[in-house]
Amino acid sequence: MYAYTDFDRQFVHARAAQFRDQLDRHLSGTLPEDDFKALRLQNGWYVQRHAPMLRVAVPYGELNAAQLHQLASIARQYDRGYGHFTTRQNLQYNWIPLTQAADVMDRLAAVDMHGIQTSGNCIRNITADALAGVAADEIVDSRPYCEVMRQWSTLHPEFAFLPRKFKIAVSGTVEDRAAIGWHDVGLQLLKNGAGEVGFRVQVGGGMGRTPIIGTVIRDFLPWAQILCYLEAIVRVYNRYGRRDNAYKARIKILVKAEGQKYFDAVEAEFARILSEDVGAGTQLIPQAEFDRIAESFVRPAGVAATPEAAAPLDDAPVDAAPLAFTRWLQRNVHAHQVPGYRAVTLSLKRAGLPPGDATADQMDAAATLSADFSFGELRVTHDQNLLLPWVRAADLPALFDAARSHGFATPNIGLLTDMINCPGGDFCALANARSIPVAAAITERFADLDEIYDIGDIDLHISGCINSCGHHHSGHIGILGVDKDGSEWYQVSLGGSDGSTLSGDAVPGKVIGPSFAAEEVPDVIEAVVDVYRAQRLAGERFIDAVRRIGLPTFKAAADAQRHLTATH
Amino acid sequence: MNFIDSHHDHWQTAGGEDGPQPHPPARAHSLLSLEQWHAVRDTWPLGVRVGVMVANTTDIESLAPDLPRLALVVLHFPKWVDGRAYSQARLLRARFRFAGEVRATGDVLVDMVPLLARTGFDAAQLRPDQKIEVAERALGFFAGHYQGDTRQPLPAFARDLSREVGPAAARLTAQQNAELSAGQGI
Repeated sequence: MYAYTDFDRQFVHARAAQFRDQLDRHLSGTLPEDDFKALRLQNGWYVQRHAPMLRVAVPYGELNAAQLHQLASIARQYDRGYGHFTTRQNLQYNWIPLTQAADVMDRLAAVDMHGIQTSGNCIRNITADALAGVAADEIVDSRPYCEVMRQWSTLHPEFAFLPRKFKIAVSGTVEDRAAIGWHDVGLQLLKNGAGEVGFRVQVGGGMGRTPIIGTVIRDFLPWAQILCYLEAIVRVYNRYGRRDNAYKARIKILVKAEGQKYFDAVEAEFARILSEDVGAGTQLIPQAEFDRIAESFVRPAGVAATPEAAAPLDDAPVDAAPLAFTRWLQRNVHAHQVPGYRAVTLSLKRAGLPPGDATADQMDAAATLSADFSFGELRVTHDQNLLLPWVRAADLPALFDAARSHGFATPNIGLLTDMINCPGGDFCALANARSIPVAAAITERFADLDEIYDIGDIDLHISGCINSCGHHHSGHIGILGVDKDGSEWYQVSLGGSDGSTLSGDAVPGKVIGPSFAAEEVPDVIEAVVDVYRAQRLAGERFIDAVRRIGLPTFKAAADAQRHLTATH
Repeated sequence: MNFIDSHHDHWQTAGGEDGPQPHPPARAHSLLSLEQWHAVRDTWPLGVRVGVMVANTTDIESLAPDLPRLALVVLHFPKWVDGRAYSQARLLRARFRFAGEVRATGDVLVDMVPLLARTGFDAAQLRPDQKIEVAERALGFFAGHYQGDTRQPLPAFARDLSREVGPAAARLTAQQNAELSAGQGI
C-alpha cells in the first residue's frame, strides 16, 4: 500500500494541529458552532444523537495492521470499544467526546491517518474496488491513480466549499465492484487498442432523494490528464451547481438539468485549462511521478506465484465440519491474480452485532490475522466487511480456523445476511428510522445457513433515511426508513443494482407500495424471498427472477403480510 | 495577506443620499459596482485608479477585457461556506493574469484565509468579529500543499519537497515511530 513520505506525514500532523487550534477556539467560546460546523465536518466530526461521530478516512479502503491496531486502541481508550465500517470504506466512532477530538486526531496522524474530507461539501474520500491490485479480472491496478487523486483532492483550496458533497469512485477491473455509476464521478480504468491506459469518465450519479446513474462524459481520457479533467468537472459544478436547496445541490441535478450543455462546458473548460492557465502543463501527471507512487503498490516481497496443485483446498481443518469449510471457501474466498494466492473476506455480518461493526478486540484480531496471513495488509470493502488481499491458498485451512475463532468466518458473503446497513436512528441524527434492529430481525429470521444458501446471491441494502448511506436504491431488495407522524416505517423496493455483473447495469429499485411497520419487515422479506423460491427457474438468481416475474407478484405477497399497516 | 480595516480604507464606494450613483464621477480609488463600472467605463480616464465589486454569480470572464484598467477586484462571500468566489479568484490570476489587488468581502472568517491566499486573494476584509492575529496564525500550519495554487503553481510532485519538510517533520517521525511500536506486540 501507499508508503507515506515525510511530506505526507508532516501534512497530516499539520492538519491535526490546525484542527486543535480550531477546536480550542470553539471550546473556549470564540468560534461559534455555526462557524465551527463546516470546519469540524471537513475533519470527519459530526454531532450525532448521543455524542459526536468521527469518520476516519481509509483512502480507497487500504489499511495496514499497525493502523488497525491503532484504530482498536482508539476505540478502547476514547470510544466504547467498537467502531463501524461504512459503505465508503471508512471507519466511524460513535462515542468520542468533542473535548478529546484533537487528541484522537493526533493518534490517527501517528499512523498516517486522518479524517480529512470525510464529510462536508467537498471532494470526499475516494473509494475503489477492495480487490484492486489482487483481482483476477484486473485491467489496471487502480490504487496508484487513486493515490494521485487523493493527493490532488486533499485540501484543494478552490473546491473546499462546493454546493454539496462530491464522491469519486474508481474501478480497474472487468467487474465493477465499486458501484461507480452511483457516484458523482465514476472512473473506469481501461486500455485502448494501443495498450495505453485511460479512464472512461461518468458524471452525475448519486443516491439520496433523486437516485440517478452517472452519464458517460468521456469514453477514453488519457490517464495523465485526469487531474485537469477533474478540475474542469468540479469547477463548472462549483459555478453552476444549485445552492438554494440542499436536496438539489448535488452534481447529478445539474447534469440532469443541463445535459449536453454541462458536458460542453466541461470540455471547453478542460481545453482552456490546458491551453491558457498558468502552470496547467505541470498538472499533467509525469510518468516519473506515477512510477514513484506506483512503487508503493508493488506486490509485497515474498508473494510469488505458487503452483495451484500444491494448494490443499480439499483438506478441511480436522476439527471443522467439512461443509462449513467448503462453504467458506465458496463464499468468503476469492480468485486472485497471482497463482496460488487468494483474497479472503472477514465477514462483519453475524448475529449479535450490527452489520459492519467491529469491536476493538476484533480489530486487533483482524490486524493480527493480516500480519500472519496477508503481509500486514487489509482492505475495507464497500459492503462493510474486511478483506485480506494476500493469502496463500495453502494457508486457507489455518486462516479459516483463526478467522472462525474470532467470529469472522460466517460463510455468507454475497448472501442475504451479508446486508449493507447504515447506523440508522440508533446513532445518526439525520435518520428517520432505526436500521440496526431491522437488520437484526432479518438476520435472526434467516439464521439457517442452509436456507440462505438455497436463496443464493442477493443484495439486501438498508438505509435509515433518504440520504441513502445504506445504499437501499442499489439493493436487489432495498429497505428505507421513513418517518410518518413521528413513528418509524419502512419502504421496500425491489430490483435495484449496484452495476456489478451479477446485478446488471446500475439502476434504482422500484418501491412496492406504501411503507410497512418495523414488525412486518422480516415477514415481507420472507414473503418476497418465498415467491422467488417457488417460481425460480433452474439456476435463476433472485435479481433475474424479479426482472422476469415482475413486481406485481412480489408486491401481492408483500401486501399479504400487512397486519399492522392494513388500513394505511 | 493584507487585512483591510474598513475605517481606514482608501477605496470608497460611489454612493449618494439616494443610493448608488448611476454615473459616478471619475475620482481616484473609486470602488464601483459592476453596473456603475459599465456605465462609466467608456469615459473613465486612464490613470484614475478604479476598483470593481463583483457578485459571486458573475461570469468572471466577462470582466477580462476590462482587467488592464482595474486596480482592484472585490469578490464577495455572501456566506462563508459558499465557495464560488474561490473559483473566480483563481481564474482572475491563473487564466486572465490579473495583477491588481483581489479582495475578499462579506462573510469572511479567519479560517478561510489559507484558502483565500492559495486561490489568488491578496487582501481580505474580515467579518467584524474576526481577529487578525488568529487569521495570521491560520496561515502558518502547513509547510506545503499537494496541489499547485496561485502562489505556487507547481503541484507537490513537480517540486523539491525536501525544503518543505524541516526539522519539525523529523521530530514528528521519531514520535510517530515511538507510538507505532508502543505496546502493539507486532
